[in-house]
Amino acid sequence: MEASVSTLPLEADVRVDVTSIEKNLADLWRSSKEVSDDALTRAALWNVVAHTSNPTTHTEASVALGRASATVPQRSIIVRADPAAAPEIASWISANCHLVGGGKQVCSEEISIVAGGDRVHRVPPLVNALLIPDMPVAVWWLGDLPNENEDYVLALLDPADRLIVDSVHFDSPADLMLVNRVAEKTTTTPADLNWVRLAEWRQATASIFDPPHMRGRLDMIRRVRVIAGTSGADFFGEIVESLLYAGWISAQVGHHVDSAGKVEGPLGSIEYNIERRKQESDIGGISYAEVAFDDGSCASISRDRERGILVANVDGNVSVPESVTRAISRNTEDLIVRQLKHAKGDQVLLKVLPVASRLAKRVAR
Amino acid sequence: MSVTAPTQAPAANPLREGLEQERVPDASCLVIFGASGDLTGRKLLPALYSLAHDGLLPTGQTIIGFARPDFTDDAFRMAMREACDKHARTRPVDDAIWENFAKGLFYVQGEFGDHPAYIRLNEKLQECDRTRGTGGRRIYYLAVPPQFFPVISELLGREKMVTDPEHGGPFTRVIIEKPFGHDLQSAKELNKVAVSTFRERQVFRIDHYLGKETVQNLLVLRFANGIFEPFWNRQYIDHVQVTVAESIGVEKRGSYFEGAGITRDIIQNHMLQLVSLIAMEPPVAFEADPVRDEKVKVLRALREFPKGHEQENAVRGQYADGSVLGEKAIAYRKEPNVNPESKVETFAAMKVFVDNWRWADVPFYIRSGKRLPKRVTDISIHFRPAPYPMWRRLRGVQTQPNVLAIRIQPDEGISLKFDSKVPGPSVRTAPVTMEFRYATSFGAEPPEAYERLLLETMLGDSTLFARRDEVETAWAWLDPLLNAWTADPRPPDFYPAGTWGPESAERLIERDGRKWRRP
Repeated sequence: MEASVSTLPLEADVRVDVTSIEKNLADLWRSSKEVSDDALTRAALWNVVAHTSNPTTHTEASVALGRASATVPQRSIIVRADPAAAPEIASWISANCHLVGGGKQVCSEEISIVAGGDRVHRVPPLVNALLIPDMPVAVWWLGDLPNENEDYVLALLDPADRLIVDSVHFDSPADLMLVNRVAEKTTTTPADLNWVRLAEWRQATASIFDPPHMRGRLDMIRRVRVIAGTSGADFFGEIVESLLYAGWISAQVGHHVDSAGKVEGPLGSIEYNIERRKQESDIGGISYAEVAFDDGSCASISRDRERGILVANVDGNVSVPESVTRAISRNTEDLIVRQLKHAKGDQVLLKVLPVASRLAKRVAR
Repeated sequence: MSVTAPTQAPAANPLREGLEQERVPDASCLVIFGASGDLTGRKLLPALYSLAHDGLLPTGQTIIGFARPDFTDDAFRMAMREACDKHARTRPVDDAIWENFAKGLFYVQGEFGDHPAYIRLNEKLQECDRTRGTGGRRIYYLAVPPQFFPVISELLGREKMVTDPEHGGPFTRVIIEKPFGHDLQSAKELNKVAVSTFRERQVFRIDHYLGKETVQNLLVLRFANGIFEPFWNRQYIDHVQVTVAESIGVEKRGSYFEGAGITRDIIQNHMLQLVSLIAMEPPVAFEADPVRDEKVKVLRALREFPKGHEQENAVRGQYADGSVLGEKAIAYRKEPNVNPESKVETFAAMKVFVDNWRWADVPFYIRSGKRLPKRVTDISIHFRPAPYPMWRRLRGVQTQPNVLAIRIQPDEGISLKFDSKVPGPSVRTAPVTMEFRYATSFGAEPPEAYERLLLETMLGDSTLFARRDEVETAWAWLDPLLNAWTADPRPPDFYPAGTWGPESAERLIERDGRKWRRP
């Protein structure tokens, strides 16, 4: 849907007292009714709480959710919490309106909360009170996951159905385990924007094994090789997408990965390699993947950046037509939309996370 | 007759789990008979391309056009590319996706009754099995007038181009487009032809209405929500209205329409499908036969038109000169290839009863027409009023029955009308609506009906297709009315183009103290 931005006055940020946000939102809609009558609809399918820690990520979240609301209407609550900042708490309200045809506009509410110092601890109960009842809640955590202030994080996650992270920012395999623990110990289902980016690679790889005569080859895998595009720095987050890919094949095919990251399949030991390759763009993305079979044949998936596709081929003594998969948009708002379009959390990711964490010990050096 | 155990299907692809494209069919050869026709260029190829674009076609899926004009593969590809450029949902066409898609696009020239052409077609199919991994799996799409069904079926059978997993072979399926006959007898003859070569479960009768998201949502609305079904019966529902309106006239289809009329063109298939879905009992499972069993029970329960008085609960109309959406519109009788004395109905309205426990004496008012004020398909469920008018002595309180409206097209959605107190010191009420709109809630454009139906055929799921007994039962119910209209020397009631049909249609409902809803 084309997101055309309206010129309604309610789109501007209005500073409001934190104790009367709901009342001010109601006033906002009442005044908008006078401006545009019934050509304007307030809609929400989700409560999305974006947690940020600085003005840059706050703006990033606001822009992304504003655009995402064109496709998935939502109440967005954007929190900027900085314990090191001056002790204060303030809030603003606005609306993101999009034309949907017939002159009608659909508007989503956006609430911004900025908290500093010890006021940060007032954020979780405030957010809790602002959630629309009977709507699912997603908490989008921008940046690396905090390994401290666990009470604060748990309080914020308490009403959440989903925790959205982006593992490209993770600085250690422990972060993957932390996400996994959220899945195990809470009712919040983790989601990862890196996992959404991986969808095109999963789709392209799956297409190789769609022909009935190729399915048996899943038991003949001998080696999985993934090339991760990196900046040259030795940052863990840059290979997480590749790690998730390897973990996905392993989990879905039924390979056994031991605690040291060693992999066994029906034919014995299986080699999983993740290689880093320095590149200028698409840092953290996969640039090539290869699955080799016991009979010497090999399936490969490569990205054709110019044509915006992934091309999958099988070489060796097997004939399968080339398959082409359209690359998906990697814009944050599109990744968020793809995530929110699924009412339920991704059960496959839950299977993959522990496997990827174990694989990280062996291959993510 | 001996039945061989089906061949073992390979296990599902575990890498598909959790992907948006979780169900990808096995690659097959889809042969389109009548590939040079309008349907192929406007609907079928654009739908297939969009499926490829969305990653829903399997690697190696092959499409072979079969028709009379002498095309090469490349010329056919070029023509289909132009068609997709114009009509595909996923426009602009992505060159990289098209290039790969077009590799599986071929053309075989031939007349439908030309035996050697089928030999050439079979050779091409076998070549594709070798080069594209289609494994002998076949889908034949008969995008041709029904008179060609017999010869095509016979020649496919003669060349042994039809196999069945129950006999140890790969699947063969055939897709048939409406009209499924002209009356009960012709429908039976067509069905006989189809099952002489194919088994009933291999036959997929397309009614594109069943591929629409909102039509499928009827079942979800009714059976996935706990709140509606308890009220979905004669105790709470006063009546039901279904409107299928088109603003266009017959356009270039004058000669076809002269032999059909709106009742055969729309009511016998699309509208009775909608009525079935509204009125059916919950199926034991959302699977082909349980769903269709329940739909056919509704059709069997339709109250027969009283013999000798068939026209009592039905009116027919024909558009006269008028204007639609501000444009001048000529009368039906002045349209090209239409008899100037034609009695063919371009509008029909009926009061229909479903004689069963749930719906006894609840009228279903259905109407369909061409050259109506706008294109809209709308179902409305009108509930009975509250049992006791508590505020009857108060001025300003005029309660109205609740209406659940389901908009099938355009601007698909559902709304519920109910009364609410107007804010203020006195008790005054006004009707308000709660609205759900697909565009508002889900943003993305839903797939075209043909995309869904082609994919379901490839997957072998016939839930969204009409079964033989559905088609025949619908004809059996309508035949007496159609015969009565044919025998009636009077012309249909005329209505100016751009209006909601003849006055007799208003009277049909108003004599019951009700009114057509303005959709």
